[in-house]
This record gives sequence, C-alpha cells and structure tokens, in this order.
Amino acid sequence: MSSLLLVVALLWPLFVAGSTVWCAYRVPVQQRHFISMLWVSAAWPALLLAYAGDVQWTMDAWMLGGYWELNALSRPWLAFTALLWSMAAFHARGYFADEQRQAQGGNASAQRRLQRLTLLWPLTLLGNILLIVAQDIASFYFGFALMTFAAYALVVHNGTPAAKLGAKAYLVLAVIGEGLILGGFLWAAGTSDTLTLKGVRDTLATADHGAWMALLLWLGLGVKAGVIGLHVWLPLAHPVAPAPASAVLSGAMIKAGLLGWLTVLPLGMESLSPAMMQFGNVVLVAGFAAAFGAALYGIWQSHPKAILAYSSISQMGMLTALVGMGIVVPAVWPALLPAIILFAGHHALAKGALFMGTSVSEHMPKWPTSLLFLLIALPGISLTGALAAGMFSKWGVKHALYEFEQERIIALLTWAAMGTAALVTVCVWRQWQQRQRGNSHSFQWGAWLAALIAALMTPLWLPLPEGSVIAPPLNEWLGIIWPFPVGVVGMALGLLALRRFDVPTPPAGDWWWGYHSLATLGLSAARLLAARCGRGKTTSVALALKGERWVMKGVLRGLSVESWMRQHGGGLMMALAVLLALLLIWEGQ
Amino acid sequence: MIWRFGLYDNTFDPLWMTDWALAAVLLLPMVFGALGAVFRPSRLLPVALACLPILLAGGVMVLDYQQVGLLRWQWEVAGIELTLRLSGLSALMLLITQWTAAAVAVYTPGYLRLTLPNASVRWLWPLMGLLVSALSLIWLAADLLILYAALESMGLAAVGMLLLSGKSAALQAGMRYLLLALVGSLAFLLGVALLMSQWGTLDLIALEARVEPEPLTWVAAALIGAGLALKAALFPLHGWLTPVHENAWTPVSALHAALVIKASLYILMMLWGILLPETLFAPRLVAWLGMLAIVWGGLVAWRADSLKTLIASSTVGQLGYLMVAFPLVLGPNIAPLPLSLAWDGFWLHLMGHALAKAAMFMAAGNLIIATGESSLKALAGTSRRLPLSLLIFGMAAVTLMGLPPSAGFTAKWLLLQSMVLTQQWLAVAALLAGTLLTAAYVFRVFRYSFDETAPRHDYQPLAPGMDAVALCLAVAAFALGLLAHFPLGLLHGGGA
Amino acid sequence: MIASIDTVESGLAVCLLMTAIGCLFDRHLLRACWLLVLFALLMSTAWWYLNAPWLALVEVILGSALTGGGFIYVLRTLPSQRLWMPRYDRTRVEWPHRLTKGLLIIAWSIMLGVATQFLLPDMALSLTAHPLILSSVVIVSLGMGAFALHHHLMRRLMAFNVLGSGVFLMLAGMAGTSPSAQALITVGLLIAWLGSLLGVLLLRQLVHQEGSAALNDEYAPVRPPS
Repeated sequence: MSSLLLVVALLWPLFVAGSTVWCAYRVPVQQRHFISMLWVSAAWPALLLAYAGDVQWTMDAWMLGGYWELNALSRPWLAFTALLWSMAAFHARGYFADEQRQAQGGNASAQRRLQRLTLLWPLTLLGNILLIVAQDIASFYFGFALMTFAAYALVVHNGTPAAKLGAKAYLVLAVIGEGLILGGFLWAAGTSDTLTLKGVRDTLATADHGAWMALLLWLGLGVKAGVIGLHVWLPLAHPVAPAPASAVLSGAMIKAGLLGWLTVLPLGMESLSPAMMQFGNVVLVAGFAAAFGAALYGIWQSHPKAILAYSSISQMGMLTALVGMGIVVPAVWPALLPAIILFAGHHALAKGALFMGTSVSEHMPKWPTSLLFLLIALPGISLTGALAAGMFSKWGVKHALYEFEQERIIALLTWAAMGTAALVTVCVWRQWQQRQRGNSHSFQWGAWLAALIAALMTPLWLPLPEGSVIAPPLNEWLGIIWPFPVGVVGMALGLLALRRFDVPTPPAGDWWWGYHSLATLGLSAARLLAARCGRGKTTSVALALKGERWVMKGVLRGLSVESWMRQHGGGLMMALAVLLALLLIWEGQ
Repeated sequence: MIWRFGLYDNTFDPLWMTDWALAAVLLLPMVFGALGAVFRPSRLLPVALACLPILLAGGVMVLDYQQVGLLRWQWEVAGIELTLRLSGLSALMLLITQWTAAAVAVYTPGYLRLTLPNASVRWLWPLMGLLVSALSLIWLAADLLILYAALESMGLAAVGMLLLSGKSAALQAGMRYLLLALVGSLAFLLGVALLMSQWGTLDLIALEARVEPEPLTWVAAALIGAGLALKAALFPLHGWLTPVHENAWTPVSALHAALVIKASLYILMMLWGILLPETLFAPRLVAWLGMLAIVWGGLVAWRADSLKTLIASSTVGQLGYLMVAFPLVLGPNIAPLPLSLAWDGFWLHLMGHALAKAAMFMAAGNLIIATGESSLKALAGTSRRLPLSLLIFGMAAVTLMGLPPSAGFTAKWLLLQSMVLTQQWLAVAALLAGTLLTAAYVFRVFRYSFDETAPRHDYQPLAPGMDAVALCLAVAAFALGLLAHFPLGLLHGGGA
Repeated sequence: MIASIDTVESGLAVCLLMTAIGCLFDRHLLRACWLLVLFALLMSTAWWYLNAPWLALVEVILGSALTGGGFIYVLRTLPSQRLWMPRYDRTRVEWPHRLTKGLLIIAWSIMLGVATQFLLPDMALSLTAHPLILSSVVIVSLGMGAFALHHHLMRRLMAFNVLGSGVFLMLAGMAGTSPSAQALITVGLLIAWLGSLLGVLLLRQLVHQEGSAALNDEYAPVRPPS
C-alpha cells in the first residue's frame, strides 16, 4: 500500500507537469486554467505518504541502485514539506488569479510566464520529495539538482530586472553549491566505495580527510540553507519571487539543505577526529554569525520579503549552530534532533505563512485592519518563541541544551530570538506602511490562514516520535517569552529614535555586491591576462612559423642531396662494396 | 638459417602434375606475352582468361608443396647442373608474384584504352610475360647460374617496360637505370666469379656446405651486396628509382615497385644467409642505412610535388624497414625467438608492401588519369568526385603506415617485438619515426584532395574494373594482416 | 720466377690493358669505339688462348661485331645536321670528383687483388705470375671507376662493356673454363650485348628527341607544361 502511495507521490507531480504541457497544446488559451485544482493537488499524495508509517524500498534498476526510506527524520520532513507545498499551491491559485485573467485575455508574456511556472513548479516539488525519501547518493543528488534548477523558474517568474538579478544570484550560487556537493559526494563515495548516504556519513566520520569532505558537503548544501557567505541569493531572490514561490523557497527548499546536513554529517557520533571537531566549531561560529548578522542587517531593509529573507537566514543560522553542536557535543544530539525537526517544521510553516502574509497585506480582504495585522504578525511572534508551537520548539531546544549545561549557547539563542522579534516587528511595520486594499481572493487568504493555523499547531500534526515533544513547564515560560517583548520594544524605541534621521536603506543581498565587484575585478584581470596571453600566443606562433620556415629550408636544402645521389650511383656502389669488404675483413681478422 | 630458404635435400619427388605445373608457371607467361603482342587485347576478359591457367598452375604447385614438403628439380645439360626448388618461402613469393601480376595485367587493358599510348605498346605484353617468368624463376632457382640469368632477364625486361612511355624524361631515367642495373649485375657476377673460383660450384646447397669464412668470401659477399643493393634501390643507391617511376606507365610502375626490386632483396638475403651466417657489422651497416632510408624516403615523399614521386620515395622508406631487419635475421648469437619474429616480419612486410604499393600505384594512376595531371595540387576536389580511388589510396596507405588490421601492422609488430627483444632501441625509434613520416605524407595527399576551393567538373571517367582491381589488392593487403597465419604457416613450413 | 713469365700471355695482357685504358679514357668517341672493337678482338684471342674457342667465337660475334658495330653505327647516324654532333666528349669533370674516383679505383684494385691472392697463392710470390688475371683486375677496377667518373652516357656504356669483359676474363682466368663457367660467361655476354643494344638504341632516341645535350647524365629534360 505504501509502495503504491510512494509511486503515486512521485508520479503525480510528473503527471501534473505533463498535463500542463498537454493543456498548452490542446486547450485554447481563453479556456485554459493555468492554476487548476489538479495542479494544486500535486503535493497531496506526498502528504498522504508522510502519514503512511516507516517504510523502506530498494530498487536495483534505478540509477546506481535506489535505496529509499521513510524514517523518523524523513517522515516529519516530508509531512511539513508536502503540507507547505499544498498550502502554497492553494495560495498560488489566488495569487495568480489576476495574471491568469491577463493570460486568458491574450497577454502573451503572461501566458509564457504562467506556462513556465506551472510546468516547473511540480518538477521542483518532485525533486524536493525525492531528496527527502532518498537514502542513496544518486537519488538524493538527482532530486536536489532537479529541485535546484527547476526552482529557477520560480524565482525569475516576474521577469523584471530585479527578478533577473535575483535569479542570476540564485543560479550562480546554486551551480557553485551543486559542484561542491558533487565533489564531496564523489570524494566520499570514492574513498569508501559506498553508494548510500549512510555510507557517506560513516566515511566522513572515519576517513582521513573526512573533515574536508564534510566541509565540501556542508558548504554545498549550505548554499540552500543560507550559510553565512553563501546566503546572498536569499535576500535577492525572495523579494522578487511570487509570494507562494517565496513561501516554498524559504519554507521547504531551504530546509532541504538542512536535511542534507542532518543526513550526511556525522552528527552525534562519538570520538571524531580533531579536524572534525574544528569543523564543528566552524559550523557553530558560522551559525551564530548568520543568526546575528542577518538580524542586524535585515532590520534596515524596507521590503518586507527582504526582511523575511534575512529572518530566514537568521533562523537557519540558529539551526546551523545547533547542527554544529551535534558535532562538538555529540551527546546532546539524541535529544536535540527531534527539537531541530520540530524547529524546522515550525519555521517552515511559519515562514510560509509570513510570506503569504506579505501578499495578503498587499491585497487586504475587507476585514478589520487591526485584526488582519495581528494575524499577519502571529506566525512571527510564534517564531520568536513567545507563542504556541514556537514555545514548544524553543523549549525543545533549550531543554536538550540544559541537560548538557550549554548555558552559553542558550543565551546566544535567546539573544538571537530578540533579533527575530526585531525583524518581525520591522516586517509587520513595513507591511503596514505598504498595505493595499482590494483585489483579494479567497484562496489567497484561505491558504494563508490555513498555513497560519498549521504553523501554530505544528507539534500536533508533525509525525514526530513519541515523547519527543515536551511542553514547557510554566516556570520557564518567562525565560522563553521575554525576548519577544524586549525585541519589539527595543525595535520600536530604536525606530522612534531614528525617526529624525534619514537612514538610507542598505541594499538587499549585502555581500553579493562585494562578490559582484570582486568578480568584476577578477574578470577584468582575466581579460588583461588573456590579452597578454594572446600577445604571447601571437609571438610564439610567429616564432614557430619562423622556425618552421627555417627547418623547411634546411630540409629542402638537404633534399637536394637526392639528386647528387642520383648522379653518383656508380661511385656510391663502389664505395659501399669497399666499405662492406673492409668491415667484413676487419671483423673476420 | 639456410633451411628457411629450402636449401636442403628433399625427401619426396615431385608428382608428375607438379612438373607440368612448373612448366606452365615458367613458360606460360612468356607464351601468353607473345600472344599478347600479336593480338593486343583491349578488353579485360581475354587477359583474365590468360591469367587463369598460370594462377591455377601456381596453386597446384603450392598445394603439392603443402602435401609433400620441399620440391626439388635437377637437370644436367652439357655438364652444367641446373637446380630448382620450391620451399615455403618461394611458394609464397610465387603466389604473391602471380596474383599481383595478374591484377596488374587485368588492370592494363583499361589503362591502355584510356591513355591511348604510342605504337610501342605492343612490347608491353611480351615484356610483362618475360618479367613474370623471370621472377618466378628467381624464387625457384637454387643455383647461381639460373639466378644470374633470371636476374638479368628480369632487369632487362623491367628496363624495357619502364621505357615504353617514350617520354624524354622516361628515356633519360631509363638509360640511367639500365646502366646502373647492368653494372650492378656485373658486380654481382664478379662476386659469383670469386665464389665459383674458390669453391668450384654454382649450386647453392653445395656452396653452403663448402663455404668458409675467409677474405675471399667476404670480398665476394661485399661485391654481391653492393651490386644487389644498387638493383634493389637500397639507400643510398636509390637515386634512379624516383625518376623511373615518375615517367613510367602505371601498371609498369606497380609491377616494378611491388616485385622487381624485391627480387634483388630476396637474392641478397639468401646469399648473405649462405655467405655471412655469423657476421655483425655488415648487416649492422645495412640496418643503419635502413634507418637513414626510412627518414630520408619519408622526407622526400613528404616534400614531393607529384603523386608518383611521392609513392616512389615512399618505396625507398619502406625498403628501409626491410634493411633494418637485416641484423635481426643475419647477425650472430640471435636467440631463436627474435630471429623467428624478425624473419616472419621481414617477409610479411615485403609481401604486404608489394600488394599495398601495387594498389597505391593503381589508385594514383586512376587519379592521374581522371584529373589529367600528376601533381598533388591537381587533386583538389577529388574527394567528392573520386571517392573510391581516394579510398583505395587510403587503404593502401594504412598498410604502409602500419596501422591495424593491415599486413603492414602485423609485420611491423613482429619486427618491433624482435627489436625490443634484442634491445635495438635505435631501430625501434626509426620504425616509429617512419610511421609518423608516412602519416605525414599520406595526409598531405588527403589535404590536397579535400581542398574544395578549386571545383572542377571535367574528370575523365575510368574504365570498368580499374578501381575494382586496385581495391582487391588493397583488401588483399588487409587480408594478409588479418589472416597472417596462412603465409606464416607457409614460411615455417620450410622446416617441416 | 722471371723465366716462368709466358711472353704470349704477358703480351696479350699488356695489349688488353692498353686498349682498355685507351677505350675508357679517350675523349674522342669514334676512336674509343674502334678501340672497343679492338679490345673485343683481343678478348677473343684471350679466350682462344684460354682454350675456350666457343667463347672466342661468341666474343667475336657479340662483343666485337654486334656491340662495337652498334656503337659505330649510332655514332655515324646520329642526326648531326640538327646540332653539331659531338664526336668528342667535352664534359668537364671537377678535380674532387676525379680524385675520389681515382681513390675508389685503387681501393677496388686492392680489394680484388687481396681476393685473388687468396685464391691463387702463387700470385703472392710474384705479381706477374698470372698476367691475364692481373690485367683483368686492373681492367675491372678501371672500368668501374670510369663508369662512375664519366657523365657522357655513351662513354659510360662503353665503360660497362670493358668492365664486363674484365669480369669475364677474371672469371675464366680464376675458375678455368669449366662448362659452368663458360655458361655463366655466355649468359653474361648475351646480357651485355642486349644491354648495349638497348642502350645504344636509347641513346639514339634520346639524341633524336632532345639533342646532343641529353647525352650528359646530368642533363634534365625540360618538362612540357602540363
């Protein structure tokens, strides 16, 4: 039964993609529903699959031998991923209603864009599902690559220059990331002759250069997960992508990188090499740097989705730090892993709801504005840990860390939560400033509301192992909640204080511009070098030609000996006879 | 060593049918040649029919050899002993000679019809018949008198054939060839005279038994070597070869390059095998000259302006490979394995080269007839118009370059193995350099032929069968490499 | 030892040598031809002296009459009206060329001399023990050298004839006149005659087509523009 479900879960998105192509050729554009209910249903079988229980499949015919599994890690992951994809698809039905009308009205560019989106959305989803269930390298990598490259269409959808820039940044980083991942996988697989992710994980733990392989994989997967330095595509791509696309990008796909880490990095394994411990520290530091840096930079942004992107970087930074803990303090891992899954699931839905909220604030339904903005703010508040599921996930992490007395880490996480609170404040405030009324669609706000509710109730529906969700005791509530009001008040005060000054908005994408100018510099240097090389080539070719002429002249002069030999055949024969006779006599005597 | 040439007593007498086959092999070519002078066949069929009995007779002899082993004939005429014998090697050479000559003969009517030659054409057929008879006699001869007579008749017939085109350049080149060939055979005769005076016999078996290493033998060997080297166009005595081929008719060139010069080389190998079984320096000298020949022939061919010069110079280089094998076959203290390898490689290369060179000359002749010019530049555009002729040229070139699966490859492989076993690295280097040079001049031809800038459309159509014959020879050169066990079996059969 | 010198043989040898040298190195072609005829007649005498009357007859017919006659016939019928017929070889030969050929002649003489010494041990005691063989050795060396030295095709052809006769004489002198040797010599004579005939006809055709300049071996005919 579950095998059938798996097949359907994987084939259904493919079928949906095929049906869009079919419609493009068969259905006249006036009657075509780009975002049909069939299209919306793409992720449903996967969602069902997540609740079908733990299963394993092996398929020898698939690529290098497929080994797929739904276990304690991949099941909840698949659940929140598929749920978010479903919500986002619903949201998209409302979000793109306007564009669909334009397309049906004969706007060719809108048709093209929608066609592209509807074709590649299910493919992205397919990649995402595949990488979650995959336990062998080939399937994982295939799914990851499919998701990465198909998602390009999601980012570039609008076709504006900003969208193109965002898509470019996304693609550049994605290619770098794919290269790093492939390098890491090949190195690990070649070292220990393994084809499964578990084998890679063992290799990383035991091999001589395991830390370097781990670094490659961490960075490669980190492009998706927004490791500091590789995060630059997020604030560039998110503001320009359509809200549902942003939701899945930030909610589901960003978590694919995290899932990759959880699967391949030797987390919670004892007696690792010193190099690996060093690597763990690097991960830890990078995580907190992202958590704080993104918050500090994000609050100055003006575009709500850019702020949310920085918030994602910040949140992922915290998760990165927790992953680092798994290497540095392996004992904490068994307790930490469910907390991380809960954190990830909650963040996925909450961030999805926040992104959908940005589109709701731009097309406000006729509700009381204050109620609406309270709802918009709710998932953010939950993210800070001050509410509902957020409290559970925060407490889960804290609880695990408390047990091993990692107070410093807890403190850092708490301060980071203040950053989150500040970001959420700025985001809601910016949304308030940019709010627009009208043109709302029931699917749009309906999906948003559903995602909101799902986010707040994450522990209830996420198929986590028994007993891994612990309710925070009452006396700890204050410790969990306080960063939120402090962050909000601090931010509000700061904003009031700075009201007088006209603080320019720093560009989204922070380091991208640094990379950009560096790359430009490098490019011009390469051009200079190429010109230099071209000159060198010209000279050497000329030299070689000169040499060839000289040699050829010599050869031709030498060949004139041929006519000499022709005329002195008789003499040469005499000489040869004498020479032979002399040689023979000399040898014989 | 000498048993490989079949110079020992036989155990069984030849069958009566073999005697008739021998007579047919030696006499029929001359008879049909004379008939050809009278009837001047202008079609392919009568020529092919005339070739058939000769080929059959040759086949009968080879079959008999395979059944009985070495065949030997001896007559005494007026106190002079004449001896013939058929060993595995001579059987093989006989087959190659007959089939190559038959291919050339079948090719000739078409060629003559297209080129409309002068009146001297009537001489072609008898001279060709004489040449084939003389060649067959050389492979069979087991005494020096027959050898000398056959060598001389072959030489004169070859000169006569080369002169037939009647151009001044051909006459000039032919005159030089005639003089050098005559003087070369006199040097050979001088050596024979010395041998005969000392050991009192012309029979090779008796000579082998009596000969001893002493200065007279050495001087005789040197004279014979120099004379035959001149006739075989071994470097540096090859000067006459290129102009002769440049101006001769295509079938004549094919026959000459394929067989005539090989006959002198065969005699040289055989006589030195008898006279100098254990010497080091003389074969070494030949080998060094051979290395020079490989490079020199390749360079000349590479810079050649005309197609026929290119092919003739390539012959010089290819002969170099055979010269390089001399110390492997003749030198002292050679282990049996490298000796056997070199022996096989030597003859396989000789035969492969014969087939390939004949095919190449025919293909080149077809190209020259079609374009009306003999220069390389005239080949521009032939790749599209004459793909078959070019293909045959390429196939023959594959054999010359020694690429698999040709006979050239098998032969070179055997030679290389032998050289590596005896650690003659210089020879290995020369062999590889020769291959590169061969590739260079072959691809130069193809570069010209694939030049599309000068489109021409007035190509002379070829007569039927002209390409087919050349193709058969080129394929035969391939087959010799692929089915090398048959010729090698015959070669080894000499010791059975 | 001196007494053992056979005066007839010595005289014959000296005459042969003198005519051979004259024939080989006379630049006047017609005179050289006549000297060749004379040389052939002397050769037949030598055959007679060596008890080979059959060979003497063949030599008279082939060597003297047919070959020499052929040479003289060609020289007389060369189309002298077209050009001034060179009855005289005016080709210049450089000194290094002459020197090397001279050295080669000496080398060949020594080489053949060494060989004959081994063959006939009494030659080691007195060089003049076998004057005919001695002269044949010199004739062979000179003939070879002259062949390599000259550029004039006709002179080269004559040098070949002299060389051939020398070789036959050497063969007969050393190996005796056994049937095998006689057969070998007969074949050689026949071939030499055929070769000379072919050569002479070729020369005639060449001069006819290209003029007398073509008689020089180094002459390169102008290729007709194709």
